[in-house]
Amino acid sequence: MNAVGRRERGVLVAFLGLFLWTGGPVARGQDTAADFRQNCVSCHTIGGGRLTGPDLKGVSGRAERDWLVRFIVNPQAMIDRGDPYALKLLQESRGVVMPQFSGMSAARAQALLDLIAAESELEESQFKGLQITDRPFTTADVQGGRGLFMGVQPLRNGGPACIGCHTAKDLGGLSGGRLGPDLSRVFERLEGRKNLAAWLSAPATATMAPIFKNHPIASEEIVPIVAYLEAQASGGGEDMSAGPLIFLLIGLGGAGLMLVVFDLAWRMRFRTVRKQLVLTSTGRGEE
Amino acid sequence: MNSASHYLDQFFFLALPYVAFFTFFFVTIERYRNRKFTYSSLSSQFLENQQHFWGLVPLHYGILVVLAGHIVAFLIPREVLWWNSKPLRLYILEGSALVFAILAAVGLIAAMIRRASVAKIRRVTTPLDWVLLALLLYQILTGIEVAIRYPWGSSWFATSASPYLWSLLRFSPDLSYITPLPGSVKLHIVNAYLLILLFPFTRLVHILVIPNPYLWRKPQVVRWYRPPAGA
Repeated sequence: MNAVGRRERGVLVAFLGLFLWTGGPVARGQDTAADFRQNCVSCHTIGGGRLTGPDLKGVSGRAERDWLVRFIVNPQAMIDRGDPYALKLLQESRGVVMPQFSGMSAARAQALLDLIAAESELEESQFKGLQITDRPFTTADVQGGRGLFMGVQPLRNGGPACIGCHTAKDLGGLSGGRLGPDLSRVFERLEGRKNLAAWLSAPATATMAPIFKNHPIASEEIVPIVAYLEAQASGGGEDMSAGPLIFLLIGLGGAGLMLVVFDLAWRMRFRTVRKQLVLTSTGRGEE
Repeated sequence: MNSASHYLDQFFFLALPYVAFFTFFFVTIERYRNRKFTYSSLSSQFLENQQHFWGLVPLHYGILVVLAGHIVAFLIPREVLWWNSKPLRLYILEGSALVFAILAAVGLIAAMIRRASVAKIRRVTTPLDWVLLALLLYQILTGIEVAIRYPWGSSWFATSASPYLWSLLRFSPDLSYITPLPGSVKLHIVNAYLLILLFPFTRLVHILVIPNPYLWRKPQVVRWYRPPAGA
């Protein structure tokens, strides 16, 4: 404490200077197709039909390029400005505002539009999207999805199980995580299988995107997860279990118990231990 | 994302950690080379030994276990996720971590009360001690808050915090993993960097000179060699 010498103070001042000097943005180059896959496919297809956002096949024919660039860079600003076409898009997507992506620039938007134009020319774009089955899900689908959600069945590409950050109403125990939203009704929120499957194919939230970009959920895993979340949504309601309260009580009870253990383990602490040690070391006391 | 929060993130999660770690290594070594005898926790056990136990023991057992948990999740995140793949194991891990975090909080609060209430101890407590204690208390309380409000931290530390910390270590910082995390999690991380920054200037340096052999050597009794009285 009183050991802060002159040299140490000098070093601290020098580094506080460095501290204030650094902090510029770090530019990170991105492959445009990867950019589209990572940030767009959870709401858009190219030739696969509408999801939360419109099908982007031939989008360049529906609006001016300059308008599209400005919209991609900051969708909320266009809506706030009362732009009629932006408001029409908002209405068609039932009020879901397209997010503003971190680091989005006019150049990046141009590159994305070039990619969309090229993909629109193809008979079948790589971004046509996952075509999920219409058949009723079986109990095995739902159970398989529950296993994936809880992590009992690991995701094939190494992605983390949902339970780490999300809960659902039938998990039991101390229930699921709460860093992300409760997924009991996500099937309703995303309005069905198609949107939910597309979302799972490239989770687009800022928290999930960096984690799943290198560990995508395999398409054959998406079907059971959708089945599980569809089953969760039936009957309504969210996770109202006492899991978090029980967790807190376990913490408090366990800590109390440990304090008792400490007290017992050091029960001799206020008496002299020296006498016993001397007797033992001279062979006159108990071993 | 607005530019103010972008620059704040760059400052707190890119500049601050490098400055903190560089200062930590540089000043720690410099202090050891030039003022070896200041490497101490400056024990106050002789000044007061009744309340001391309830600060010392729960704080150290609590903090050692919780800190070890963070280091393990940083070093072997995939193995932690594997452990957590059975919900019962996840609950045991998280429950145990919470128990030790609460122990650390109890110990630290007891230590702070002792420092404030015992006149002799107050005399040997510097302003920097109080800053350190306040930062430690904030760190432990935000840690408990995060554990309760945003379970299950052992899993999402492995998927979000660990890759971010490794990216710093590889000098290829990737802040995308942690910038979207809730405010109390980010404050917990920033406060950890402040503690690392302050480390070499405070009595925390005692961590580096723990007399480890005390753990396994036999108790020693110091006996005076002198003739019995009256001989």
